[in-house]
Order: sequence, then structure tokens, then C-alpha cells
Amino acid sequence: MAQKPPQHEITQLLAQWREGNQSALDDLYPLVYDELHRLARRYMSRERKGHTLQTTALINEAYVRLVDQKNVPWANRSHFFAISAQIMRRILIDHARRHQYAKRGGGARQVSLDEAATVVLPDQSGELLRLDEALKSLAEMDPRRSQVVELRYFGGLNNEEIAGVLRISENTVTRDWNMARAWLYQQLTGSGAN
Amino acid sequence: MTPERWQQISRIFKSAILLDNEARSAYVASQCGRDDSLRVEVEKLIDSHGKADADEFMHGVAAEDAAPLLTDDEIGPRHDLLNKGQQFGSYIILDSLGSGGMGEVYLARDTRLDRTVALKVLSPDISQDKRRMQRFHQEARVASSLNQPNILTVFEFGEVDGLTFLATEFIDGETLRDHLHSKRLKVSEIVDISIQVLAALDAAHEARIVHRDIKPENVMLRRRDGVVKVLDFGLAKVTEQKYSTLGHDSDPEAITEFRTAPGVIMGTINYMSPEQAKASEIDERTDVWSMGVIMYEMVTGKLPFRGSTTSHTIVQILEKDPVPLTKLVKAPVELERIVMKAIAKKPVERYQTAKDMLADLRGLQKRLEMEAELEQTSPLVTPDEPGLAAKKKRVLVFAVVGMLLVTAAIFAVNIWRSSRSTGSPSVTTPVVERTLTYWITVQKFKDNNPYQDPFTLAGEINFEAGYRIRVNVRSPQQGYLYILNEGPASGAPEYNIVFPTPSANKGSSLLQPRQMVQIPEKSWLRFDAQQGVEKLWLVFSENALPELDSLKQFASVETGGLITDPLRNKAIKDYLDSQTSKPEVEKGETLTTLKGAGQLLVYAIRLEHH
Repeated sequence: MAQKPPQHEITQLLAQWREGNQSALDDLYPLVYDELHRLARRYMSRERKGHTLQTTALINEAYVRLVDQKNVPWANRSHFFAISAQIMRRILIDHARRHQYAKRGGGARQVSLDEAATVVLPDQSGELLRLDEALKSLAEMDPRRSQVVELRYFGGLNNEEIAGVLRISENTVTRDWNMARAWLYQQLTGSGAN
Repeated sequence: MTPERWQQISRIFKSAILLDNEARSAYVASQCGRDDSLRVEVEKLIDSHGKADADEFMHGVAAEDAAPLLTDDEIGPRHDLLNKGQQFGSYIILDSLGSGGMGEVYLARDTRLDRTVALKVLSPDISQDKRRMQRFHQEARVASSLNQPNILTVFEFGEVDGLTFLATEFIDGETLRDHLHSKRLKVSEIVDISIQVLAALDAAHEARIVHRDIKPENVMLRRRDGVVKVLDFGLAKVTEQKYSTLGHDSDPEAITEFRTAPGVIMGTINYMSPEQAKASEIDERTDVWSMGVIMYEMVTGKLPFRGSTTSHTIVQILEKDPVPLTKLVKAPVELERIVMKAIAKKPVERYQTAKDMLADLRGLQKRLEMEAELEQTSPLVTPDEPGLAAKKKRVLVFAVVGMLLVTAAIFAVNIWRSSRSTGSPSVTTPVVERTLTYWITVQKFKDNNPYQDPFTLAGEINFEAGYRIRVNVRSPQQGYLYILNEGPASGAPEYNIVFPTPSANKGSSLLQPRQMVQIPEKSWLRFDAQQGVEKLWLVFSENALPELDSLKQFASVETGGLITDPLRNKAIKDYLDSQTSKPEVEKGETLTTLKGAGQLLVYAIRLEHH
């Protein structure tokens, strides 16, 4: 098991980031990334069949493990959730990339025909990578809507929680989501108009 | 698309999708005027909105959709650091044994001494990681300083071609974890394995080293002879005394390296001791606890403390009394006693050293061997007449248990004496102190229905409007408890009596030690729509309080315990205000502890909501 970074370190970084220090985020990122990644893999290996990977449960657990809750104002929790959503996105995208790479035979171990034949799953990795690209374009036009998508789809937060993190009303979250999702669908199915 | 265009589309879109088909076309047409391209884009987006719904596009969350990607990591490029047959320093790589979080493990031949070793090679990216390197160094240093047959021997630690490696003895066998998976263990085997692990721990503790991560994954069983080896001293801690006895030998760098700041949770959660879970100071007794948990698991096949999430598990470790072994399986009572003593919540109630636990287990082992012998040699036993043998056996068991009890009693008295004599001498009169702990269970509600799993909080937060909560209270002490709710009133406050009630605790305010009170008993506390602060007054007293006891009469389901008489409310307010008790508030990971001097503790939990 990997050694845990000190809780107070993470707690401090969260506070610094909240106060606008962007470089704190750079330091925070790998620490949270490691923990979330580890937890996700553990969850997956524990319940291989019929699993549901509950992102919020995962992030909650990471929060409890990483953050020294004695010294944290509770507002930090939403910030932690926000960064965790971002990181879950990174983790999944990293995996999708590796998956694509391996499929192209780029890996050290080539996938044999037999193995390839057993892969009947839809192309999740490709889909995910395209979604990620589309989300990046969305962020350029409309950062808030792309954040709503990130928090909901990658972070597993519900509308109420997203409203809390972004300090907007729940109605706005619903409207943002509808619009963003319709646009992303359009981009991914190729019926795009721009 | 320009952001301006996008805003334009979005403004029309958000209203349009709320309308029915006919009204929608008219609305879009009216909004777009002669800008046909705008109309086309809005319509396309509305169309996508409908299709996305029908397709359940992004219906779940990404992690669910992409779950298979997380499991087939192996498909990605794998870095074999070394190949079969390759020369690596004075080693020749024979085979790959697997890979772990830190790097690769190989079976190798040490050509200098012609012996087979396990070679752990760190992957280069980890060598860049200061923290992990530190752990690797530590493992090497600590393990090589210990020389005991049940501790994995470290041969060499070094670097070849820029790769850091650790050469250890090679154990052909399986971990206790795998062993537990493959079969049910006999009591004699459980005792044997435990004795060997404890012998390793005893040696480590003698050297003032606490392992801190004792778990089935770190215990190896050699195939050939069943010899047990304890691995992974990567999280081990050298306890303070070590430094003073080391004197001039001590390396100041090593000291700072080995020391772990309190507040850092390390190790696997399920085997973690309460003091580890609380991230407070730990010592050898934490290993005793982990050993107890492993034994519990070996006997029953179940973990004594296990929750659905880490936080739930931590609460169990801190709070839950485990189900006695003999309730789950048939096991010797003495074995149960040993295990339960090892997992006593308070370190002082546990075995104080691995050696003590080892002694008890050796006693049990002897007894089991005698019993087995008796069973074999008894000519009286025939399959039809088990009664006699069983009776005879029982007599013997009683004798041995009796002896053990006497020993335990003497031992207990000694402990009591020594704890007395080492206790603070200034304490001559007992300090009167009231202790109360509480934590909060939160259930989210949506449209009046519970939504998602409830979760627990150590204390109060600014609650969301949809949250409903339950407050859990308990004390290690006996006492009289009263709980009053004070609403967010602008004028004179109104109170509700929430504990005791006719149904809660049968109307009695007397609380037994460790008895848990849950407010409300069955339903949830909900907040009204307005923003505000509710107060929940906790009053915990050594003696009954007639002023508050009389409020029981108002506690009924119909009124929700609401006290309407303004004079009485005023009297309660005056009473609460007159109490000067200012308890110390300790916010823990899982619960909040209130400690007040004197016989009476008064505290208001502020339940803020928006």
C-alpha cells in the first residue's frame, strides 16, 4: 500500500488553492490522483460482477482519508469534490488512452486475435476520448456549463451538490446540463452544426 | 461558434424545451426572426436533446460507463524492467514473480553465494518519488536489523545500472490471505500461525520497532514446512525510546525519517487499531490489535469491524463491540478470550506486549495438544459412546481454564498495580468530569423520499435544505440526559423536549454507560424552509435534574414535544443560560467529544441550515 501524504499537507494545499494560489492545485493534483486511482481500482477488483462504481462514495472515502477534517472549514469539502471530479476525468481519460494505445498494438504485449475476439464491449475508450475533446471545446465557449458536466458526469455529484459547488441555483444547474448534454450529443453523433 | 452566438442559442433553447411541440416551433420562429441559421442551430440542438434523452446519453456517471477500462489495466504497456536470463549485478534473473505497486519482483540467483533470492526492483519513476524511496529504504533498514526466523531476511540493498533493488530470502509459499481463501483453518493451525507471527512481533518489539501494518497480505506461509514469515516493514516505526538507548550510534537523519507525524493514517483500514484510526500516538500494542483482528478473521472467516465505506469501518473500529467468536463458530472459549483481549478498544486493556499474548497462546496450544492426545489414546471412545470421552475432556478443560483464570487474575492485579504506581501522583481526589460524545447521521431527501445512502458526520455543518438528520449521543459514563431543541426564533425561544420521551428510553432520563441515544428515534429531524440556526441542547448530569425531568409531560408524538407555555419556555431559557458549563469540544474524525468539568455538562449543538 502506498504511503499516505500527510493530511495537514493536503488540508493546507486546499486552503491555499481556495485563496487563489493556482500552484497549490499542481501540488494537490498528484496526491489526490494517486488516492482516487487506488480506491477506484480496489473497488473494481472487489466487485467484478455487476458492479456499480459509485463515484461519490469513492470521493467521500478519499476525502476522509486525505483531509485532516479537524482543521478544515466545511466549505473545503465542495472544493475537494470539484477537484476530485476533475481528477476522476483525468483518471478515466488516461485509462481510455492506454486502452486505445494497446488496441493499436502499441503495447509491449500485443493483443492476440483470440483475446481481441473476446472484446465485444462497445468502444468505450474511444467514446470517452471524443467526449473529453468535445468537453474541452465547450469549456472554451462556456466554462460554467462544461464544469457542470464535469461535476455531474465525472464527479458523480447531484444537481443540489453542483449548485453548492458553483454557487448557482439548482434550476440553473438543470438548464446548463440540458443544454450542454444536447450539444455534446450532437458533437459525438456527428450531427454537429458548427 | 462565438461565445455570443452560443449564448443566443442557449437563451432560446432553455425556454423552448419547456414548451410542447407546437408552441415550441412558434416560439423558436419568433425568437430567431429572419436569422435562419440561428433557427436551424436551435432546432438541431432541441432535436439532440430529445435523442439524448431517448438514448440515455450520459445517463449514469462516467466511472460506471468506463468501469471496464479500470479493470483491464494489464492490457496497457507493461514495463518489464529485467528479462529472464539477464545479468543484474551479481544476480542472474531466473523468473518474474509478479509486480507490485512499487516495482517488479524477480526470482534470481546470487552468483557470489550461489543461493536463490527474491529481488525486488523499484521502477525508475518511483525512485524519483522521495516518499516512496524513503519507505523502501526503511523496509530494508528495519528488516535487516532484525534477525529472527519468522521475519523475512534481507540480504542486500543497493543499486545497479540506476535501478534500486532489495534482495531478500525467497519464500516458496503463499500469503495468509491466499491461504484463508483456499480453505477453512483448524484451531490448531490458527494457533500455530499466530504463535509464529507473534514471535516475529516480539522480536521486533524488543528492538523497539512497531510494524504497524500487520495484515494477512504481509504474512507468508512457506509451502515446504509451514514456517511463517512476516514481511513488509515499510511502514514500521521505531518507537521513541530507541533513540535514547541508541546513544551515539543513532543517525539523526534516520530518526526524522522514521518518525511519522501524528495525524497521518497509514496501513490497511480493516486491521487498523482505534489509535491508528484516530491518528493518535501508537506503540507496540497496535500490532497486538492487528494480530487479534487477523485471528478473529482466521477463526470466523469474517472481519470483526467492517463497514460499507472507510468511514463506516472507522466508526466500527472505534465504537462497535465485535460479535463474540463463539457466537459465530465453535471455538475454544480460551481462544475467544485471547482474541477479545487483543482487540480491546483501550490499549491498556489489551495484552501489553506480544510476549504476553504469545504466552497465553502457547498455553492454549499445549492444552489442545493434550486434548488431542487424550482423544487418541483413550480406549474408551467408540463412535457410539462419545459421552464419556467428552466428559473426561471437559474436566481437563475446566482444570486448565481454571489455572489460566488464576494466572489472568494475578496478571490483571499486577497491571492494575503498575498502572497505579505509574499514574500521576498529584491526583489524590477523583476529578469529576462529564464526557459526552455525539455524531450526526445525514439522509438526503428528494421529493420527500430518501435519496442516496445516509452518511455520518463527526459534527455539525451548514446543512442543505434537503438534508434530514439524526443526532447520535452516548457517554462512557452513567448519567441523566436531557435533550431540548430550540427553534430559530427571532423573539423569545420556544423549546421542544426530544429526550426523554415516552417511547425513547421508556420515559427515563437515566442513561447507562455506552448506551446510545438517537434523536429522533425513528424518523429524521428536518429543517424548515427558512435559513436559520436550530440549537440542540444537550444536558448531561450526574444527578437527575427536577427542572428538566418535569418537561417529560410535554413529550408526545402529537405535539412533537413542543412546549408552548411562554412562561415555561422563559424558565427553561433562564435555566440553560444560568449553567456556566463550558465543555471542551474535541472534533474527531468520526465523532465529537464534549468534556466538561463538574457534575453537569451543558452544550448546544448549532444546526445551521440554508
